[in-house]
Amino acid sequence: MAAPGRSFARAVAEAAPRCQDELIVGAEAQSSYALLGEVQGIAYARTVPLNVSLELTLNCNIRCLHCYNLDRDQPQGCHGGDGARPDLTLDEIMRLLSDLRDAGCLFLTLSGGEVFTYPHLYAVLDRARELNFAVQLLTNGTMLQPGVAARLAGYRNLLGVSVSLYGATADVHDGVTQMPGSWQRTWDGAQRLRAAGIAVRLKFIIMSPNAHQVAEMRAQAAARGFAYLVDVTITPRHDGTRGSLAMRVSEDQLADLYRGPLRDLLPTGQMPATEERFPCNCARGNCAINAKGDVHPCVSVPWAAGNVREQPFAEIWKTSPVFQKIRGLRIADYEACAPCPDKPYCSRNRGAAFNHSGSYTGTDPFVCRSAAITRDVVTSSEPPSPRAPSAANE
Amino acid sequence: MSAAMAGRWRRDGELPFQKLDEETIVVDPKRREVHLLNETAARIWELLASPQSVDDLTAALGAEYDVGEAELGEAIVECVEGLASKGLVVTAGAR
Repeated sequence: MAAPGRSFARAVAEAAPRCQDELIVGAEAQSSYALLGEVQGIAYARTVPLNVSLELTLNCNIRCLHCYNLDRDQPQGCHGGDGARPDLTLDEIMRLLSDLRDAGCLFLTLSGGEVFTYPHLYAVLDRARELNFAVQLLTNGTMLQPGVAARLAGYRNLLGVSVSLYGATADVHDGVTQMPGSWQRTWDGAQRLRAAGIAVRLKFIIMSPNAHQVAEMRAQAAARGFAYLVDVTITPRHDGTRGSLAMRVSEDQLADLYRGPLRDLLPTGQMPATEERFPCNCARGNCAINAKGDVHPCVSVPWAAGNVREQPFAEIWKTSPVFQKIRGLRIADYEACAPCPDKPYCSRNRGAAFNHSGSYTGTDPFVCRSAAITRDVVTSSEPPSPRAPSAANE
Repeated sequence: MSAAMAGRWRRDGELPFQKLDEETIVVDPKRREVHLLNETAARIWELLASPQSVDDLTAALGAEYDVGEAELGEAIVECVEGLASKGLVVTAGAR
């Protein structure tokens, strides 16, 4: 009998590039969750939905200008008729959790909208604990009032909380959220979580209004001891509107960021984009379910593979033509990407590509330019100083 | 069998886990660890959903594995000790 906890000697295909859907809060330090990569590789190879993001509500208490979901300055439902469809009920979500468990899900990410506006959040958390999910929450942090963190700390299956931040100063951040006081409330919330012993990861979305503050944002996080992610990709919204794109950094801003405060987070370009490495974990180890019950390859790609109101999750996962298509894709199927020499420098952001072009195998010129700028910077300059231990850029 | 192994054991019921075919992944958020249990350890983990002594486990697994009782008992003790050292199983009566 082999000792428990020892990983099997096995030939697991090199884990596919990680995407943000499967990033575990608290796994930033190299010594944390050491077997996670191997486990994700197994899920990828066996096509097990190990990571599922579940959007509990579209409601949000702030109105971020870059929101990928919908234009929050417009009445909900005015775009695409989506608002006419009711959100999943609590009963439906409870049944769905059981179905997800049976299908192989372990890492369950609960999001919104703003997840803390969902009135039954704790009922869902209770059920997720009963079902032995490892849970993480995505939040803007503004509703983490005193008492919330202590209540969350009672969930021993909680991996951590990802908190979004959009500036180093209140005026910049609050300008993005259109909610005065939100920057302070977010920081207060993040610190309350940490004081309660909960792993916290900040998520910096870099856009035009805060591009000049990137170094300061990173320095603040480092000074306060918070892990963080940096993401520069703003996409068209899932409701079909494109107003969010006005928030994207310009090409000049992007080049300045890559030469300057984000230089150490750029990929080295030394990993070739092989058939094994090119696909992400979408529809293999990851999927996302929105508040209406639509099942998507990941949070960023609103390409409905089915709806859990109409079809059991396991059936959608196994038989959906959308998922089957994604699983069968080869590099050659990405017509613009296949011949591109910048693949080793590219984030291959499928969400940006899909929301821009309407095709999973399409491209987004912003992502292409980002890869080209990365290549220019990486190949024409000295290696960066060692990466800050709390930083991650995947 | 060590005196420490004489009691009854059960898995920590609040730890996240999931079966992946014959293996089982167990996550310990507090320690920030992921464990991948092989087939036999995963079977013991499954049995420890309710309190079990090593004798209970030996009896249950004896019907499933073609191995002598003494050898099986030793392997089970080694496995439970390993699980306990990682905080994945606790003595029955503990949280």
